Amino acid sequence: MTEMVTLRVNGREHPCRAGIATTLLTVLRDQCELPGTKRGCNQGVCGACSVLVGGKPVRACLTLATDCEDREVTTIEGVGTPARPNAVQQALIDTGAVQCGFCTPGMVIAATALLEEHPDADIETIRQGLSSNLCRCSGYRKIVEAVSLAARRTAS
Amino acid sequence: MSGENEAGAVGQSIPRLEVREKTTGRAQYIADMSSPGMLHGAILQSPYAHARILSYDVSEALAMPGVVDVLTGDDLGDGRMGAFIKDEHAIAKHKVRYVGEPVAAVAAETETIARRAVRLIQIEYEELAAVLTPDEGLANDAPIIHEHLDDYIKVFPAVCGGNLVSRTELSQGDLDKGFAEADFIVEGTYETPAQAHLAIEPCGALAEMDASGRVTLWSANQSVFRVQANVCESLGLPMSKLRSLTPRIGGGFGNKMEAHVQPIVVALAMRTGRPVKLILSREEDFECVRARHPMRVRCKTGVRNDGTLVARDVEVLLDCGAYGDDSPGVLGYSLLMARGPYNIPNVRSVGRLVYTNKMRFGAFRGFGSPKVNFAGETQIDEIAEHLDMDPIDLRLKNIVATGDTWMGGSVLASCGLRECIDAAREASNWDQRDLPQTPGKRRGMGVACAAHISGLLGTGAIVRVLEDGSVALNTGAVDIGQGSDTVLTQMCAEALQVPVDGVSVASPDTDGSPYNWGTTASRVTYTTGRAVVGAAAEVERQLRDHAAEMMECSQEDLELRPGGLIGIKGVPGKQVSFHEISLRAHWRAGGPIVGHHTWVFDQPTIDPKRAVAHGLPFPQIGVYSFAAFVVEVEVDEASGKADVTRAWMAVDVGRAINPGSVEGQMEGGFVQGMGFALTEEMVWDDARLINPSLLDYKVPTTLDTPHELHTIIIEAAEPDGPFGAKGVGEIGLVPVPAAIANAITDACNIRLTTLPMKPERVLNAMEQAAHGS
Amino acid sequence: MMTQTMIAPETLEDALAAMHAEPGSMALAGGATLVAMMNAGLVEPNSLVALRHVDTLRGTRQLDDGGIELGAMRRHRETALETPFKDGQTVLSYAASQIANPTVRNMGTLGGSIAFNDPGADYPAALVAANATILIVGATGTREVSAEAFFVDWYTTALEAGELVAGVRVPAALVGSIGHYEKLARIAGDFAVASVALQVTWSGDSIAAARIAIGGSGPTPLHLAEADDMLIGTGADSDALSKAGLLLAQAADPVDDVRASADYRRKVIPRLLAKAMREIAPAREAA
Repeated sequence: MTEMVTLRVNGREHPCRAGIATTLLTVLRDQCELPGTKRGCNQGVCGACSVLVGGKPVRACLTLATDCEDREVTTIEGVGTPARPNAVQQALIDTGAVQCGFCTPGMVIAATALLEEHPDADIETIRQGLSSNLCRCSGYRKIVEAVSLAARRTAS
Repeated sequence: MSGENEAGAVGQSIPRLEVREKTTGRAQYIADMSSPGMLHGAILQSPYAHARILSYDVSEALAMPGVVDVLTGDDLGDGRMGAFIKDEHAIAKHKVRYVGEPVAAVAAETETIARRAVRLIQIEYEELAAVLTPDEGLANDAPIIHEHLDDYIKVFPAVCGGNLVSRTELSQGDLDKGFAEADFIVEGTYETPAQAHLAIEPCGALAEMDASGRVTLWSANQSVFRVQANVCESLGLPMSKLRSLTPRIGGGFGNKMEAHVQPIVVALAMRTGRPVKLILSREEDFECVRARHPMRVRCKTGVRNDGTLVARDVEVLLDCGAYGDDSPGVLGYSLLMARGPYNIPNVRSVGRLVYTNKMRFGAFRGFGSPKVNFAGETQIDEIAEHLDMDPIDLRLKNIVATGDTWMGGSVLASCGLRECIDAAREASNWDQRDLPQTPGKRRGMGVACAAHISGLLGTGAIVRVLEDGSVALNTGAVDIGQGSDTVLTQMCAEALQVPVDGVSVASPDTDGSPYNWGTTASRVTYTTGRAVVGAAAEVERQLRDHAAEMMECSQEDLELRPGGLIGIKGVPGKQVSFHEISLRAHWRAGGPIVGHHTWVFDQPTIDPKRAVAHGLPFPQIGVYSFAAFVVEVEVDEASGKADVTRAWMAVDVGRAINPGSVEGQMEGGFVQGMGFALTEEMVWDDARLINPSLLDYKVPTTLDTPHELHTIIIEAAEPDGPFGAKGVGEIGLVPVPAAIANAITDACNIRLTTLPMKPERVLNAMEQAAHGS
Repeated sequence: MMTQTMIAPETLEDALAAMHAEPGSMALAGGATLVAMMNAGLVEPNSLVALRHVDTLRGTRQLDDGGIELGAMRRHRETALETPFKDGQTVLSYAASQIANPTVRNMGTLGGSIAFNDPGADYPAALVAANATILIVGATGTREVSAEAFFVDWYTTALEAGELVAGVRVPAALVGSIGHYEKLARIAGDFAVASVALQVTWSGDSIAAARIAIGGSGPTPLHLAEADDMLIGTGADSDALSKAGLLLAQAADPVDDVRASADYRRKVIPRLLAKAMREIAPAREAA
């Protein structure tokens, strides 16, 4: 059985259908036309589905859509655009940290939330903060450096 | 050619061309695609390791509302696919050969319905005795996994029979004489486990048929052409009836090189007449795509007291899994790499590949080399210890150099290994190392060297000049995330002295792209790069023909000028633009400018005067890149857990077309190799994989990875490489297990011969060492 | 097909009533465990009672005697902060800070985690070491169960059908006591291969009080008063540590799994205990 829920995503209202087992990830991808949030494992481990709910990072695959009705959801599509990337996105672009890109939306969300909380994050804080997200291409170093660059740029 | 094109061509770390779409979530991967009227597919997996299929009952599944089609092996002919041996149907037929093998598939209106419906399919099996290890497979009374192996089509002279898929042997010199000349011999047996590729994107495909019956197929892949070949072979389709394309790819590492679900998805699309998309779950991806082979290596090296290596004998036993896939190639390549980058005159390497009732094993970054490298490079350290010699000095005494030959006899036209070793030695402060000591921890440093080919098989490129003088590049090489679109564009821009943003790069399409065997074998920069340079040279020749006529001068007086211009030498103002030339070519004379170049790597692997080979599946292989790694580890005395704290990676890539991308390949390869060395292993309980999920199969996170990963680029230019370049895709992984093992030995005075070097193994060895002394 | 509804009550009473009205319903806290199990097809609840709006499950209460009551909906991220913990109570914050990863710690809750009693999870041993009490509510009222009694068997707790974890009461730890959680995992954020949670109080050069619990090495956290006693009065010398460690290792009931063998787990328990004591040395000197 499905019911109608209205999700507020990236500042827009999306009427959606969801059953009790329907995750936020499924609804974002299949009904809101926001496929930037990726499904990598559906078990909350890889982090490719990270989104912000109420400004805090969560796994969209472990979040039920019907449990989000009164909460503000922000996806990768809502934090920056190709023409106006946010500081993390710009730093990833400039440092060549992105390879296949499949983990990148989740990384951007995790890093954006991290810098929101720790604007002056040092390397160790960034490594801690990004430990939520798996990347199999980069070896992480360039991603960590990119987020560090974003922090320094934002501070200056 | 000079690298002075300021618009970001060869030698510059320009950002990936597609980086903005990837960072902002706009990149489209297979799971993000849809088509009007699309159905969703799901697979049913075999519960048995080995069983005959007696009957199917699909009625209940078909009756479920929303189900449109159910596919089983009975619905398909006897077409079989396989890169080396054609032994695999599109979906299990007559028999199942491993737990998790796709045995039926459903197409339904939603993914949820499809996944529920497969559970309603009833299949009657007759269970057969299963073969779970290569040793069992070789036993006289072993159950036979492929009864018709002899009749299968093979693309190389396979030595096979029973469950033996292939036996390959390489030898050079006189092994007995070599060991007789040795002052001492070291010997060991090494075991390495199955590793999951774990590209963060799971595999999937989307196919649709047009009114004429022709199919268009999008899929996660490393070669649109291998996809086309596999689907057409297994479904009995002419290649003209299938168009294979690619969206963005979320990593591959070998996993997406050959077929996964594409044949099933195409069959469903053709039967239903509707578009069908099927995306594997992470668990299915673990269980039924492919993984790195479990391998056993016996390695024996004969040495003179002055440190000269005189003989090496290597024997490899490779678990093939249920289907051949790329395994004969992996076996042959591991044997070719077993000598290592050393001038050992007397060598034999022999290997057997055996079918078992496990998932198929296949290509994975390193292609068999990391395992023999682990054996050979830890043995070099054992020899150094025996001689009381510095392990780096021992290596330097024996390494190959430019002009030497590789195992088999092919000549090394470029070799920067000595420079790599020197650079890693200096950067890591190897000779004066003074490692920080922490209570409860032991630190150590280790070294390992490696070589890896870039090469193999056919490749092409087409370069066109558009009406306005822009350049369009089309190669058919799939960028799986490693950055080949950018690197090939940089080469094309450099060759024609135009800015990078004046060149477009086409997405691979079997309808319009020239053949490219695939993104594998660290080959795209080198082989496709050569095709790009060749095609650009052809375009330049046509441009010059026009320019000579337009400016009424001779060809010799012309020069290519930056920014898409051809001018008369010594006359600064006298020039015509690509735009002007192309308009003339399009509307008045000569026809649109199109340059193409195709080639196949054709230098023989084996020089019959130097070596003998039996059952080798690749008569031509490639050119060689080199690397020397120094790694520092810290071992926790309480648990035996080893962590890598720092690493220095010196790599000879010939020429770094995009140095930042080279670093990215090295760092990513290192961390994947570190996982293989320390934590990753697929574990079976009897025939069932027990950790097919990210909860149970663990890959390194930021916190498990050293931030001090130093890449040092050495450029020993390959004479026929594009701008001197060689490949870099795999070599970053290859020496990592050996370097870490050698560092653990340095730290704890133990020597491990089994991967992964998990805490349990390290601690047990430390205890044994303590009791032994 | 079942009714399959999601209810989001605002009071505990309504939540319990909803669970009572719909047999087979399950409580949804942060989702980190339950939704993962639903995605894997391991559970298919007919209805869910979301506890997010139940304010009484969220609070933290400082008790007059130095104890703290933590609401079941307290997220790991909040518990990982050292405030409001004092002295040896910090064993809980150390454990919470090592659960999974920052994003999951932002989702997962104390009650949601312990209700599953995953033996590799980090809270159970820490709660036992802290001598905590689990506060349970049900249709018939409230009851309290010690952490040691709460964890009953593999994936089994003392919770009865229709009951919920309302919170946890952490008693005051001895003044000057030190809390620590030593976790061994294959990689950061994995479930523990084995873990040692402890509260230790020093008096001069010897241990005045100790409470040790072992995690990841059996169906429930392992606590042996005899092992605690073996350390009391000693200077945590290697002899005393290995005696206590061996006793714990012998009593442990670990299994072979993908994380490690049972043998290794037994072997590593005394070693982790010794390591934990070494790790707290700086805190001891500072105290």
